[in-house]
Amino acid sequence: MINYVIWRILQMIPILLGVTLIVFVLLRVSGDPVLLMLGEDAQPEQIEALRLALGLNKPLYQQYLMYMADLLTGDFGNSLRYNGQPALQVVLERLPATASLAATGLLFAVVISLPAGIVAALKQHRMADHIASSFSILGQAMPNFWLGIMLILIFAVTLGWFPVSGSDKPLSVVLPGLTLGSGLAAMLTRMLRSSLLEVMQQDYIRTARAKGLSQSTIIVRHALRNAALSYLTVIGLEASALMAGAVVTEQVFAWPGIGLLAIQAINSRDMAVVQTIVILSSVIVMSMNLIVDILYSVVDPRIQHG
Amino acid sequence: MKRRLFAGMMPKVAAIMLASAGLSAAQARDLVVAQGIDVPGFDIHNHSTTAVEAIFVNIFDYLVMRDGKGDLQPALATSWEQVSDTAMRFKLREGVLFHNGKELKAEDVKFSIERPALDKNVMQNSFYNTIKEVEIVNDREVIIHTKGPDPILLNRLSRIGSGIVPKHYVDEVGWNGFATRPIGSGPFKFVEWKRDDRVVMEAFDKHWRGRPVWDKLIHRTIPEDSTRVGELLSGGVDIATNIPSQDVERVNSSGKAVTKPWQSFRVMTLFANMKEGSPLADPRVREAVDLAIDEKALIDTAMSGLGVPVRGSVAPGLSAVPMDLHNTYLYDPDRAVKLLTDAGYGPGQLSIKLQGPSGRYALDVEMMEVIAVMLEAVGIKVEIEALEWSAYQSRIWEPNKIEGLALIGHSNSLQDGFHAVQRARCGYEFSKKTGWCDKRFDELVNQSAVTVDPKKRDEYLSEAFHRLTDSRSILFLFQVQNIIGINRAVAWDPSPDEQLWMFDAKPASN
Repeated sequence: MINYVIWRILQMIPILLGVTLIVFVLLRVSGDPVLLMLGEDAQPEQIEALRLALGLNKPLYQQYLMYMADLLTGDFGNSLRYNGQPALQVVLERLPATASLAATGLLFAVVISLPAGIVAALKQHRMADHIASSFSILGQAMPNFWLGIMLILIFAVTLGWFPVSGSDKPLSVVLPGLTLGSGLAAMLTRMLRSSLLEVMQQDYIRTARAKGLSQSTIIVRHALRNAALSYLTVIGLEASALMAGAVVTEQVFAWPGIGLLAIQAINSRDMAVVQTIVILSSVIVMSMNLIVDILYSVVDPRIQHG
Repeated sequence: MKRRLFAGMMPKVAAIMLASAGLSAAQARDLVVAQGIDVPGFDIHNHSTTAVEAIFVNIFDYLVMRDGKGDLQPALATSWEQVSDTAMRFKLREGVLFHNGKELKAEDVKFSIERPALDKNVMQNSFYNTIKEVEIVNDREVIIHTKGPDPILLNRLSRIGSGIVPKHYVDEVGWNGFATRPIGSGPFKFVEWKRDDRVVMEAFDKHWRGRPVWDKLIHRTIPEDSTRVGELLSGGVDIATNIPSQDVERVNSSGKAVTKPWQSFRVMTLFANMKEGSPLADPRVREAVDLAIDEKALIDTAMSGLGVPVRGSVAPGLSAVPMDLHNTYLYDPDRAVKLLTDAGYGPGQLSIKLQGPSGRYALDVEMMEVIAVMLEAVGIKVEIEALEWSAYQSRIWEPNKIEGLALIGHSNSLQDGFHAVQRARCGYEFSKKTGWCDKRFDELVNQSAVTVDPKKRDEYLSEAFHRLTDSRSILFLFQVQNIIGINRAVAWDPSPDEQLWMFDAKPASN
């Protein structure tokens, strides 16, 4: 098991190298940060001076090698947008906000999908199933952007139950959390429903019924546990996606997390910050994948990593 | 006697209680202002955005400041006089304190103004490099020496980067330290900055104008327009900038907030590639394009009526600009067709690429679509290319990258005619983009830069403006008008310099 984990961690290195190379090149060919920084009043000599100061006049491969050399010493570069403050610090200080939003989104997803998935499976082809299935299709079809604005209009502006945006009040996390978790809730509901339906056809469930076990015991102890594998997989993979992909939700709710930072950094070609976010997100996604793989063997002892 | 005394005191006590109740009611509120952008930090010389200075203006003081009408007024400087063509003396206000309690003196003014003037590495250098030295006469008096005559020195000293900072504090913490914990002498002092979320300021009790009526001033960053409107309607913010035109009705009918027009100095233009080989090198084609665009209809359709047609970079509140180019436009599609025919282009024979940004200016893509329809109506085929801002900016900055027409909006942070046209001189940015070069124009603009006599300066610049307009190297469309939303409980009028000067904001009396 330990060998497997070490092997997986070693595998991350070439992937991270590839990620840094792709994001480095893409950022540099798609726009000029100097023009954005200096604004429309900039004088040509100022532009040249800043390009020189940032090393942007050097060939791309030299810039990349310099960047990688700095990266190996833990220097992620400095933010252009934030007057030269360390990019890693700028990104890391946003991590708690995004983590709390992702956790809330995940919580909503689980709290909604668990009962909805079970009910839909148990009441297959009946009204409860139709309602749960319709909502899950709706949940996946609605873009986060639209859902967020609708939730703001109804629950914040009209009813005044929750703050419209920001992160300073305890209830601030509810609407963005719900927005972020809705797609995952829908996906998990459908996933749980189909897994449960499959499991409920198995012989051991019939055996359990024949033993006279109650419906709830059958579901919780036998069916749910066996259906949990795919459910957990999706949660694991999507949790990292929630962390890395809260971009739209954070923008709509002015939630000061990594997603909002990413948009602003991309728009202003704040290269060091974008690179740091991408590297950090890659590490999070790969780590979550690894954790899910390890958890497999815990949930299902038949799976062995060695 | 005792009873009479008591009875006599009652109305006074009641009056004091009422007054203090009224005062506390007025002061018990925080004022929350929302814009779409965050500050990059508080290094005041290293940013280039009016919307950022709009926040700074509450923390830092300037030697001179513009009032609500855009006129220059004494601030830290109580008076000033031109002592020679290249020197201006400023008397400084007495008893001005920084937020840390230290007194503001001439050495702080010297330190604050000389940095952007002499340090080529700060972003604001190009706006201050006409200044040679700030001479300290005594603690209350400075003389600013310029390299040559500088008729717009006062414009420079009332704009981005001219805030006065405490020298001793910057010496102590460095500019990096200052960038995260600034100290000024403005009506509000810095408390907290949470990136991409909020800047919290609180009233500075010892401010020389008096204490602001608000306990706290909170600037929130809300990038999404609809969310900003939602916050305004729910009372979460008191003032929200850049309300989309489609939300104006909703805000005004809410009973909670009102919208007000917010004049901008930004003028939308089309830059024409008139270099060799381009069809727009033919003046008849450029004139045809100019006459084919109905600016009034463009404003009414694409911009929901927000904007004023112009034929130059002119707007009320700018000095030394010919206002006969404001609120006017030329539209004559029949003549446009004739001009195109004379130039050898029948209907559909001329194709022009119209480039522009997507999402940089309000409704920029819609603007291009309406312009394309208008040009097609006179027989010009139009290909629209809308790009994300940084990609677009990189493209149009390089010489020869504008293929046909390019949509560009320019503001005027110096609030003066010179700044509006100086970049159209041969070899400068606008000239490089369009290929237009006119020696007479250059002479006029260069003369205006060193002419202190306002009347003569107006004459030079007026002729220069008209030469640029007549060249049609740049086709001027309209002066942009933004919309600001204000809670009904707040009385505040936006000023034309786009600054969010909240010392003037008061609780509404009704």
